[in-house]
Amino acid sequence: MKQIVGVADMKVSNNPAESVITYSLGSCIGLVVYDPAVRVGGMLHYMLPESSIDREKAAARPFMFADTGIPILFKTAYQLGAVKSRIRIYVAGGAEILDQKGFFNIGKRNYMALKKMFFKNNVIIHKQDVGGNINRTVRLEIGTGDIYIKTSGAQEVKI
Amino acid sequence: MSSLQYLLAEIQNLKPIPAVAHQLLAVVDNPGSSMEDMANVIQYDPVMTANVLRACNSAYFGLKHPAESIKDAVNMLGTDQVIELVLLKSGAASFSGSQGGYGLEEGEMWRYSVSSAVIAKQMAAKIGLANKNTIFTASLVKDIGKIILEKYVARSRHKILDLVEKENLSFREAEKKVLGIDHAELGAMIAKTWKFSPKMVKIIRHHHLADETMIKDKEVAVVYLADCICMMIGVGVGDDGLAYRFRDQSLRELGFGADDMALIIAAYGENMQKIENLLHMV
Repeated sequence: MKQIVGVADMKVSNNPAESVITYSLGSCIGLVVYDPAVRVGGMLHYMLPESSIDREKAAARPFMFADTGIPILFKTAYQLGAVKSRIRIYVAGGAEILDQKGFFNIGKRNYMALKKMFFKNNVIIHKQDVGGNINRTVRLEIGTGDIYIKTSGAQEVKI
Repeated sequence: MSSLQYLLAEIQNLKPIPAVAHQLLAVVDNPGSSMEDMANVIQYDPVMTANVLRACNSAYFGLKHPAESIKDAVNMLGTDQVIELVLLKSGAASFSGSQGGYGLEEGEMWRYSVSSAVIAKQMAAKIGLANKNTIFTASLVKDIGKIILEKYVARSRHKILDLVEKENLSFREAEKKVLGIDHAELGAMIAKTWKFSPKMVKIIRHHHLADETMIKDKEVAVVYLADCICMMIGVGVGDDGLAYRFRDQSLRELGFGADDMALIIAAYGENMQKIENLLHMV
């Protein structure tokens, strides 16, 4: 069964029969967490780095922003028995348009927001596929922890 | 026949946007015209009238009493919503199907088009541009050139993607180099054949800012920027991905900063369900 993570959305599962998938990450980030010991995995698809631009929206839709969405993803996984020291992390997305520089580069800023939070909290990324000018679709199999990625114009590949 | 002649022949074979859309735009973008004028234009097309009434009376709007005429619909839903429905209905048929050359599955291009049209209209309203319905429509149909060009892109796919990857060309620049024409130019040719207004033709022609001086044109800049924002969001994006050029000058021309861009993205995140509903309704 497929659990679809929409834009500005999150899903966490411990059902080994399920796949969690998010489609079409442009500059958005798809953050995948997985604890192999308890087979708990989750995915967050956020659009923007900081909730400070609109607190009201962040309260209504916390998964829209890195700083409000990421903590909830981890907490929800912990509630299902995942343990921080065992969690493996995969990051995809954060693409940019050609010549998109500095503060206008939402993709890079989305990635930097995550890196900053991870650095503060001693979290290490195990694998990632970020940046560039391509669209990505990410799928996590809860039963195995296998992660698959599909970029525009190519077949899905296991990473 | 040369490739260009083939293309021209294909343009002739495309089913054009219904005439009611042009007539409606001519009316709504004229400040002197009334709601009555608008209703008359729509009523003149019985198929469109039936379609609009069906959409108005769908569960989405939750009207207490069904709208039985375009005037009812305008009174109940407002002029803006009714105009939007007519324009969406007008564009839908042209964008159905898949565009394999661009790696777009059934419905993806339409989803992208509607999303960028909604964003463009919001931006136009925010900065007080007068003809937001023209901007909405131009944004909705700007990629019409892809409908024809996709077959040619499919045949030269490797060459085009190679130029994008290795020579850092944008997808549009690579199309132009390999095929001799890009989807924006072809789109403008189609728009001309369909007798779109010169303004609409201009916006379609320049929606990737191939000619950078066009950035000074606020209508072009709005449609261009809405397109960039859609690429960033990623919904309905094909094999061309985000391989187009970003000009931050376009934001400055419109009086926007980077935070405004983020706010527009956030607003999209909030309105996504509305856009999904629109897609299912028309």
